Amino acid sequence: MTNLVIDGLRRTYGATVAVDRVDLEVAQGELVALLGPSGCGKTTTLRMVAGFVQPTAGRVLIGGTDVTQAPPYGRDTAMVFQGYALFPHMTVAENVGFGLEMRKIARPERETRITEALRLVRLDGYAERRISQLSGGQQQRVALARALVVNPGVFLLDEPLSNLDARLRAEVRVEIRALQQRLGLTTLFVTHDQEEALTMADRLVVMDRGRVRQIGSPEELYERPADIFVASFLGRCNILSGVLEAPGSFRAGGLLLPSAGERPRGPAALAVRPERIDIRPDGGCLPGRLTMVTYLGGMTEFHLETPAGPVLVTKPTPAQGDPLRALVAGDTVHLDWHNSFGRLLGIEPEGDLP
Amino acid sequence: MAALVVPALLLVLLMMVAPMALLFRYSLNIYSATDLMIEAVTLQNYVAAVADPYYREVLATTLRTAFLATVIALAAGFPAAYVLARMQGRWKSILTLITVFPLMVGNVVRAAGWMALLGNTGVVNTALKAVGIGSVQLMYTPGAVVAGIVTVVLPYMILTLAAVIEGIPRNVEEAALNMGAGPLTMFRRVILPLSLPGVIAGSALVFILCMNAYATPVLLGGSRFKMMAPAVYDQFVRTTNWPFGAALAFILLLVTLGLTMAGSALLQRRYAR
Ligand SMILES: Nc1ncnc2c1ncn2[C@@H]1O[C@H](COP(=O)(O)OP(=O)(O)OP(=O)(O)O)[C@@H](O)[C@H]1O
Ligand SMILES: [Mg+2]
Repeated sequence: MTNLVIDGLRRTYGATVAVDRVDLEVAQGELVALLGPSGCGKTTTLRMVAGFVQPTAGRVLIGGTDVTQAPPYGRDTAMVFQGYALFPHMTVAENVGFGLEMRKIARPERETRITEALRLVRLDGYAERRISQLSGGQQQRVALARALVVNPGVFLLDEPLSNLDARLRAEVRVEIRALQQRLGLTTLFVTHDQEEALTMADRLVVMDRGRVRQIGSPEELYERPADIFVASFLGRCNILSGVLEAPGSFRAGGLLLPSAGERPRGPAALAVRPERIDIRPDGGCLPGRLTMVTYLGGMTEFHLETPAGPVLVTKPTPAQGDPLRALVAGDTVHLDWHNSFGRLLGIEPEGDLP
Repeated sequence: MAALVVPALLLVLLMMVAPMALLFRYSLNIYSATDLMIEAVTLQNYVAAVADPYYREVLATTLRTAFLATVIALAAGFPAAYVLARMQGRWKSILTLITVFPLMVGNVVRAAGWMALLGNTGVVNTALKAVGIGSVQLMYTPGAVVAGIVTVVLPYMILTLAAVIEGIPRNVEEAALNMGAGPLTMFRRVILPLSLPGVIAGSALVFILCMNAYATPVLLGGSRFKMMAPAVYDQFVRTTNWPFGAALAFILLLVTLGLTMAGSALLQRRYAR
C-alpha cells in the first residue's frame, strides 16, 4: 500500500509564494494530474514530493511515512523529467538498469527486468543503443522505462509529453495511462495541457498562483466547476456576468437567462459550455447576431454578439441541407439552453484569491 | 570564409612555425665556442642531452613537479569548478572574477610575494621564531615550487572544467539522485564521466603550462632546483650553446606532447564508455 499524502505544503522564494497550502491525497494506483497556467506551482509541488525542493512548511507522506526531510535518494519515487534527463554516456540498457543497480539488485534479475521494461515500452532490440541514436519519442520511452522498472511507490511525471509532436503525444498518452493502470502505480502527473489531463487522470487538481482551486474527477470539474477560473481554464466556457435577482432568475443584458444552482442574490456570473447551447431561428432566451462562423471539419464554431456579451456556440458540423449550415456572419438567431447547463458562479475581483 | 583565417594563420606562421623550424635546424648544428655554431646535420646534441645524468635529473624533476602540480590542481579545481558552474546570477560573475584574479598578477610579482612570505626572514619564519619554534626551510624547496605553480595554473583548470560542467544538465544529476544514487555515487557515475572532456582538456593545458614553468621554479626553487625551461634558457644565455639549448627545448616539447597525448588517450579509454 503506497499512497501519497501532501499536507499543507508551502514553498516561498523570497517574496514569491510558489506553492501555498496544498493538500492532496493520491490513493494507491490512482493517477492525479496537476493542472494550471504557467507559474502556478505545479513543478514546485512535484519537486517537493521528489525531494528536490525543501518545503517552507507542510509534510509529504509516502506509504504513511513522513519523508519531508528525506533526501531524493531516500524516497521511493521515480520521476520522468521534462526533457527526459537520460544519462547520455550510458546505453539504453544502462539507463534503465541504473535504478536497479542503485537498489543493489543482482545482475541476472536486473537483466530480466530491463528486458521486461524495454518490452513494456516497445523498445526491445534497442538495449545497446546510445541515447543520441534515439528519436525524441524513443528517448521518452526510455525515460518511462527507467522510472517504471524500479516499481516505484510514487510515480512522478513533469510534462513528459511536451517535447513530442501532437500525434505522438496522443499515442504516448494512452500508453502511459495503460502502463500506469496495469502496474497499479500511484501517480502524480504535471501538465498544462488540459486535454492531456482530462483524458489521462482519475482526478484533476486545478492550481492557480500556488493554490489549489478545485480537486475532482474530469467530469466533476468540467460539468460542475467551483468558480470562474476553473470553468474558463478547463475547456471553453461562456461567462456571462449579470445579477441574480431571485432564486432561478438570473438577468444579464436585460434578459432572464436559464440557470441552475443556489447562490446569494446579487452580482453573479453564468457559465455555459459552448456545446450546450442550441441555435434556433426564433423563440430562444437570448437573441444574437452572428459575427463569425468557423468551419473546423467535424465541428463548427459560431461566434455571436448578444445583449449579454459575446457568446461562442460549438456544434457538430451540420449536414448539407440543415438550416444551421446556411448561417453566415450577419444573420440573426436565437440561443437557448436547458436550465441545468447554466451554472451560477460567484464573481471574483481580478487578482484576488479565495 | 577561408579568407577569415588568413590573419591568424600568418601570425602563427610568423611567430610560431618559423622560430620553431629555425630552432629545430639549430638543434642539428654543432656548437663552437668561437663561431657560435657550425652548420651540420647531426643528432649529437640530443644524444649528449639524453646521456648526461644531470639533464636526465632535470627532466625527472620537471616531470615530477608538473605531474604533482597537475594532480593537485585537478583535485583542488574540480570542486571549485563545480560550484562555479552551478552558481547563478550575480554571484557567478563575482566568483569568476575571483577565479581569474590571480592571472592579473604576474608570475614574478606573485613569486616575489611568496619569497616575502616564506623566506628565512619572511613573515612565517619570523612568526615561528617569535613563538620559539625556530626557523624552518620553506623557500627553495620542491614543495614551494609545486605550491607556486599550482596557484598559477589553478585558474586555467577551474575555468576549463567549469565550462564543461556547465554543459551537464542539472536534471541529469537529479535523475541520478531520484533513481537512488547518493551524492558520491552520482558524482562518480554521472558528473565525472560527463565532465571527462573537461578533465582531459584542463589537465593537458595545465600539464603543458607546468612543464614549461620558468619564473616560479627559478624564484621559488633556488639555484639547486632545476627544471627544463630554465635549463634551456641557461644554454642560450649563459653558455651560448644554442645547438644544445635547442635540442633540450625539443626534448621538452616531445616529452610534453607525448605524455599529454598518452594521458588523454588513457583517460578517454578508461572512462568514456
Ligand atoms: N528556484 C526558484 N527561485 C525563485 N522562484 C522560483 C523558483 N522555482 C520556481 N519559482 C517561482 O515559483 C512559481 C511557480 O513555479 P513552478 O515552476 O512551480 O510553476 P509551474 O506551474 O511548473 O509552471 P510551468 O507550467 O511554466 O512549468 C513561479 O512564479 C516561479 O517563478
Ligand atoms: Mg513546470
